Amino acid sequence: MLDLILQSLASGTAVGCIYGLIGIGFCVIYNASGIVNFAQGAFVMLGGMVASAALKTYGIPLPLAGTLAVLVCAGIGIILERVVVRPLWDRHSTTFVMILATLAAQIVIERMTLIVAGDQPHSLPMFTDLPPLRVGHLAISYQFLWIVGGSALVIAMLALFFASTKTGKAMRACAIDPDAAALQGIPVSRMLALAFALSAALGAFAGVLITPTQYIAFNLGVPFAISGFIAAIVGGFGRPLGALAGGIFLGVVQALAIVVLGSAFKNIAALSILLLFLFFRPTGLFGSTT
Amino acid sequence: MNSLTSTWAKRGSNPVLLAVWGLASALVVYVLIRGGYLMSVLQIAAIYTVFVTGLNIFMGYTGQVSFGHNAFAAVSGYTSAVLTATYNWEPLPAAAVGLGGVLLCALIIGYPTLRLRGHYLAMATLAIGLIAYDVAVEWGSVTQGYMGISGIPPIGIGRWTVASDRGILVLLIIVAAIGMFAAAGIRRSRLGRAFVAIAGSENAARALGIDVSHYKLVAFLISAFYAGVAGSLFVHAIGFVSPEVFGLHMVVLAFTMLYIGGIGTFVGPALGALIVTLLPESFRTFNEYQDLAYGAVLILILIYAPGGVASLPKLLSSSSRRKPA
Amino acid sequence: MSMLRLDSITRRFGGLVALENVSLEIQTSGITAIIGPNGAGKTTLFNIISGFNTPSAGRVLFGDDDITGIAPELIARRGLIRTFQLVQLFDELSVLENVKVGRHLHTRGGLLMAFLPRLAARREAEVEAAAQALLRQTGLADRACVPASALPYGQKRLLEIARALAAEPKLLLLDEPAAGLNREETLRLAELLRAVAAAGTAVLLIEHDMTLVMNVAAQIAVLDFGRLIANGTPAEVRQNPDVIAAYLGQAEAALA
Repeated sequence: MLDLILQSLASGTAVGCIYGLIGIGFCVIYNASGIVNFAQGAFVMLGGMVASAALKTYGIPLPLAGTLAVLVCAGIGIILERVVVRPLWDRHSTTFVMILATLAAQIVIERMTLIVAGDQPHSLPMFTDLPPLRVGHLAISYQFLWIVGGSALVIAMLALFFASTKTGKAMRACAIDPDAAALQGIPVSRMLALAFALSAALGAFAGVLITPTQYIAFNLGVPFAISGFIAAIVGGFGRPLGALAGGIFLGVVQALAIVVLGSAFKNIAALSILLLFLFFRPTGLFGSTT
Repeated sequence: MNSLTSTWAKRGSNPVLLAVWGLASALVVYVLIRGGYLMSVLQIAAIYTVFVTGLNIFMGYTGQVSFGHNAFAAVSGYTSAVLTATYNWEPLPAAAVGLGGVLLCALIIGYPTLRLRGHYLAMATLAIGLIAYDVAVEWGSVTQGYMGISGIPPIGIGRWTVASDRGILVLLIIVAAIGMFAAAGIRRSRLGRAFVAIAGSENAARALGIDVSHYKLVAFLISAFYAGVAGSLFVHAIGFVSPEVFGLHMVVLAFTMLYIGGIGTFVGPALGALIVTLLPESFRTFNEYQDLAYGAVLILILIYAPGGVASLPKLLSSSSRRKPA
Repeated sequence: MSMLRLDSITRRFGGLVALENVSLEIQTSGITAIIGPNGAGKTTLFNIISGFNTPSAGRVLFGDDDITGIAPELIARRGLIRTFQLVQLFDELSVLENVKVGRHLHTRGGLLMAFLPRLAARREAEVEAAAQALLRQTGLADRACVPASALPYGQKRLLEIARALAAEPKLLLLDEPAAGLNREETLRLAELLRAVAAAGTAVLLIEHDMTLVMNVAAQIAVLDFGRLIANGTPAEVRQNPDVIAAYLGQAEAALA
């Protein structure tokens, strides 16, 4: 039993990193604009799908396929921002309208993917084709290491970007006060596009990382988005590192719920965590930044 | 605070709206007389009119948001289905139990949820809708999971049932009409004024003695009731229920109808329901494109005509009388 | 017995002391004004009185009741009605409907009444009549069906007051009612306030417009940096050296 629990802790942590990456994507856009992008999950789905298509249909080697997927999704993120978000932003639409529009965009992307790629699940091969590492009684697959390591690296790079580069600091300025930022000569609208591109890239990266351990299909966007949102809420909406912690928290709790209660409770466990936090601790485990 | 309500449109004073009403009525009469496949389409339109009218009260009048009202349709719909199909209850008592369950759920859910705002409220309600879907899928012993429940008897009392397509459509139209007129009555009343005040400014409403939490809950309960009615009507009209019926698809459809028709207006829900159910029928063969079309159309409406069709007259007249900058 | 009594109201926001030991009595009739430089804590005081904020220490007594920390809608129910510094109208409603909302406290009827229009008709007629009367009193009768958002600023202010009056307040709290009004509008406001006070409603207002204040107020309280530095008739306050210092600086006070 202990082994089972430890094993699920390990797998939960890996999935949790993925949720964390998605959650950070939410934070990036939210911090830049106050918008909650309900289409976030679509990028995760597209990341896996595009990489799989590149690999299987065009024979592009895996690392290149993954990179291509991330770049393509970043581009789609910019398209989403230009076509859907910007017009509403300019018209000062309400929060609800923005949420609804991004949700509609999620549906559109999902259906387009269905039409183009069909409803069959796709997958990617494991990054490292070796048997899992044995640590005591645990079996740690190399994909786990890729996921955790990749997430850590990307998050460190992101933190560096926001803290040290000119563009990163400009984006933070926009988040704090877009009008003041504009007066300083910061191109606020370009920052918004960048935020979407970054967020989409993060989502796609997460998709590429997770697809080898499970399949990817057109309709997995919404579940991923919800998980990422939960991660962001648990960590305190707007806090990137909190989102990672929140994601791992969610992943672990979910894994334990599956072991203890059965796989039927996977989603309900996640959604219950969401509701509990929204009702009783909306500022998350660590409190929010505003 | 941004309000989603429009001023109560003076019925009959707007020629464009009258024309639209006329067209819609003519269409319905035509379908009733001619019969055929379009009757099933209009049945769906009528059921969704009830659902969306309820949503209009909560979102249009009171300015809140809910991505999870499909949960209430599911509660009542499944209760009706299980009690009538599996336990051979009469449809009306079964629906009564379903609606009672809906009100209880709405009360329990409403208390903590309605304290939330903005995207927190949106997410919490979305979570509730998703939980309902999951329960429908996983609680197989009662709901039969993905397989669903079929053989649900039609609505009726004792031996007197409404089983023909035409009869069902008439019944549904009557219920939808009652629902719409009830909503209009609410809007014109002291209760409706309190709702709209909350949408306008919660602080000002409280400063005038309006208990905002109480009235938000009342709006929530009323709209949940409408959703429950729609749910029970659906299972009896179609004779079949499965988790997909009350899933995310319903949410997107309902929102599309609400916004195309015109949120906050009297005629919006019905108009939206008619348009959204009828137009895709011309593309009946391209089923995969339906949801894609809904999503795209919703986005376009949100950007270019957030007041929906019901606001078109206003939109057209203001653009032709544009004041100098 | 006084209408409103503030008992050593103190409000701290972290390290900042917004209000310190403010004690004040408002009479059951007449117009009282609270003045003071920007940031003196006037609106914070209003928020505490009307239940939108709670004091760190002290009590608010309305008539016989301790209303400290009670919810705003319950305070409104007792007859204390306030307006806001930034006008909070129901923008999507018509001018008339805005005022009708003000009648909420003095009418009854919920969901059941909504389905019995025949029964509700008489009550609705009363609401309509009362609302129309208030619009006439405030000079907005010809704008009754206009959406509130379409009014010019001065009329928006008047509408907010009309709406507040619809709630039949015993004490009316007005937060800078003259802000943004031109001279003619301010004169009309003064007339309105005098009429309201004469009809028996006590008025407490925050104001910067000294002409208005000196013209209508029977009692003036002066706040500076969260403390009450003067309280008395206009004549007394005008000559109070602390007040002059607060507004004009120490040098002027020495010359006074």
